Amino acid sequence: MNEVMRSMEATTPVMAAAADRQRRSRPSGWWGMALFIAGETTFFALMIASYFYLRFQNAHWPPVGVEKPKVALPLILTAILVATAAPLFMAVRAGRAGKVGRAWLLVFVALVVQAGYLGVQIHEFVGEVDKMSPHASAYGSIYFTLLGAHHLHVAAGLLLELWLLATLIGGLTNYRLIALRVTALYWYFVAAVGVAVVFTQIYPSL
Amino acid sequence: MATATTPEALRRAARLERIWKEPGGLVGWITTTDHKRIGILYLFTSLAFFALGGVEALLIRTQLLHPESTLVGPGTFNQALTMHGVTMIFFFIIPMTTGAFGNYLLPLMIGARDMAFPRLNALSYWLFLGSGIFIYSGVFAGHAPNAGWFNYVPLASRVYSPGPGIDFYCLGLIFNGISSTVASINFIVTIFKLRAPGMSLNRMPLFAFAFLAVSFALLFALPSLTLDCVFLELQRRLGFQFFDPAHGGTVFLWQHLFWFFGHPEVYIIILPAFGIATSIIPTFTKRRMVAFPLVAMAEIAVAFIGFGVWAHHMFSAGLPAITTVYFAAASMMVVIPSAIQIFAWLTTFASGRPKFTTPLLWIVGFITYFIIGGLSGIMFAAIPFDQQTTDTYFVVAHFHFIIFGAAVFPLLGGLYYWFPKVTGKLYDERLGKLSFWATFIGTGLTFFPMHIVGLLGMPRRVYTYPKDVDWQSYNLIESIGSYLIAAGLLMVLANLVRSYLKGAPSGNDPWGGATLEWSTTSPPPDYNYPVIPKVSSAYPMWDLDDRVADTGKLERGELVLEEGHLTPATTVFDANWDEVLDMPSESIWPFLTGAAMFLLFFMLLGGHLFAVWVTIALVLLTLVGWHRTEPQES
Repeated sequence: MNEVMRSMEATTPVMAAAADRQRRSRPSGWWGMALFIAGETTFFALMIASYFYLRFQNAHWPPVGVEKPKVALPLILTAILVATAAPLFMAVRAGRAGKVGRAWLLVFVALVVQAGYLGVQIHEFVGEVDKMSPHASAYGSIYFTLLGAHHLHVAAGLLLELWLLATLIGGLTNYRLIALRVTALYWYFVAAVGVAVVFTQIYPSL
Repeated sequence: MATATTPEALRRAARLERIWKEPGGLVGWITTTDHKRIGILYLFTSLAFFALGGVEALLIRTQLLHPESTLVGPGTFNQALTMHGVTMIFFFIIPMTTGAFGNYLLPLMIGARDMAFPRLNALSYWLFLGSGIFIYSGVFAGHAPNAGWFNYVPLASRVYSPGPGIDFYCLGLIFNGISSTVASINFIVTIFKLRAPGMSLNRMPLFAFAFLAVSFALLFALPSLTLDCVFLELQRRLGFQFFDPAHGGTVFLWQHLFWFFGHPEVYIIILPAFGIATSIIPTFTKRRMVAFPLVAMAEIAVAFIGFGVWAHHMFSAGLPAITTVYFAAASMMVVIPSAIQIFAWLTTFASGRPKFTTPLLWIVGFITYFIIGGLSGIMFAAIPFDQQTTDTYFVVAHFHFIIFGAAVFPLLGGLYYWFPKVTGKLYDERLGKLSFWATFIGTGLTFFPMHIVGLLGMPRRVYTYPKDVDWQSYNLIESIGSYLIAAGLLMVLANLVRSYLKGAPSGNDPWGGATLEWSTTSPPPDYNYPVIPKVSSAYPMWDLDDRVADTGKLERGELVLEEGHLTPATTVFDANWDEVLDMPSESIWPFLTGAAMFLLFFMLLGGHLFAVWVTIALVLLTLVGWHRTEPQES
């Protein structure tokens, strides 16, 4: 009867990869993350809807005296963020083939680029708060809330990757392979939402 | 139930017993990851909040007993009124339905040994408890939220509500929302992945369909409330401008976001009631549900349509006519799936052989009040009628028929129905019927006259009324009715406590129930089933051959999975057996993470930035501790 596998017993890279191949449907962890993402996407969709709802209450957007948002830098930064999906995608493929060293390195590359992205974004964020107060208008309030929420999601993703890298040092197991897939999935979501957020951000300048 | 008879089968059962055993005592309750024990924790905690919300309701009714009463001042009245709503919705109904009923019964009904994420399940309970203590610490410190349960701005803004009451509301509901979100994810994954091999989606009990719909509705509705509360906290604490028209904001933003959550919330409250009704009706009419696929689809459709009707709560706010007309039409659409279900229940009654035991009586009460509340609901979809009756007691009458008469009655019926399964004892049938009639009559007395005073113009949320308007007799009847409800509920409690102490033993299946939970012992063993049950229809207990087959499987050792803390996982639609999962055992970390989150929310309330960072670090540390153990190692 035991053609059905006990997947959690796969505690070496080779066994984890085999368990992954044998599984016909997606694991529970994948579904958990996919549903979490569905909820968080709703959160961002509602925030962007709120942005435009507030925008249509105002004749001037941004209000008179407030600079229009930059276009080039946010777009370039978002492009970089989206590009980090590539090493993560490759990391998942490597992990599913049981190549744990290669997966580690690719996650590390993504982590470094994403950390740099977040650093520049925070620098920009702090600089803009000095110029345009979130207290002065609904525009400033929703602008900073939207960007801040996205930066928090990037930060959370970095913590996930740090934890993943720390555990992968101890080798690959079925559980960690699912964690790798799930972390990548989370980052695809952060990147996709990043595109929606950046176009909302630069919308007044378009 | 598959009963072990051969020595080999007995050895297997003993092995399961040993592997799934959890520590006893207080430590056992704090570290538990057993869905049944977590369900019981949820049950008692939400009952405690039900009592608090009930006391608040009685306070309101006693204040309104006489005109120009001075029993409590307007300040206390506003707090009681707000906390009554908040408590009943967020700290009673949601945790009672998904937390207690869902947790205890869902894995049993689908033939699983636990939820998909047992530790996350424990966390959702500790977060729920934490958020309840959080918001009630505000109440007992004299800073209860007091702007009504839907907390409209500008009343809820700092200018008009300077105290911390509204901050307790916002942070408490964000906190509570995290608990409900993780719980709903857990339910969906459990339903998708842990159904017993053979339980394809079309063989899943209607109870599970209802909980699937509720979980999806929670997952997509809660972000709206969370976002709204985040906006309001940013405005109140950091001076952001979302709701202030003088700075380009708008008060409508609060209303839209609130009701985009608030209306699906109504269906989140009522759908578990549908699920419970569709469990009790077939058992006591000895007939399969009429129109099973239609009822399943109607349950999903209600949750779905619920997201497209929110602005019917705002017909008198001054929205453009085109908007209100759309929402009126969409609201009318809810009639269709609701009517499908009502006619399916009634036809099942009519074509079966109903035996009116206590659980079925509560279902009859539920259908009665659901129809009354539903009919007044249709009236509100007519915009001019709604504009006339908004903020009067007519609305209060309508929604209490729905969220008390229709949503809570099946819960009480369900308490009786599954009481033998949870305790192994039978309840007292005579006292059970008496408790039903007291509550049923009390509900009619309390809420029906509200229609009339509402039409006479009595506004809701007002702490008193003058002598010369002749509302006194109606209010008197309402208050008497509310005491009768309290008496009825106390009878339920007395019945269950007494039966727990000295009820007759019930056996595994006192009712001839249709779903799998009746196949195991009462109360179920820690591992639920000695052998994962065979399923070939949505009424597995009525497929007698399958139950005989289970005994054979136990003897042969098929699907017993006694080599570890194991449960099978299956494919999403067809439930083909796909893998065997090692489930995590008991753990202290969910409790610690919950405790750290509790501290974090107090620090957010205090607003001390350094303390906030320290507690965030604490939360992260507990998460590290949690994830150091992988399921197969625990």
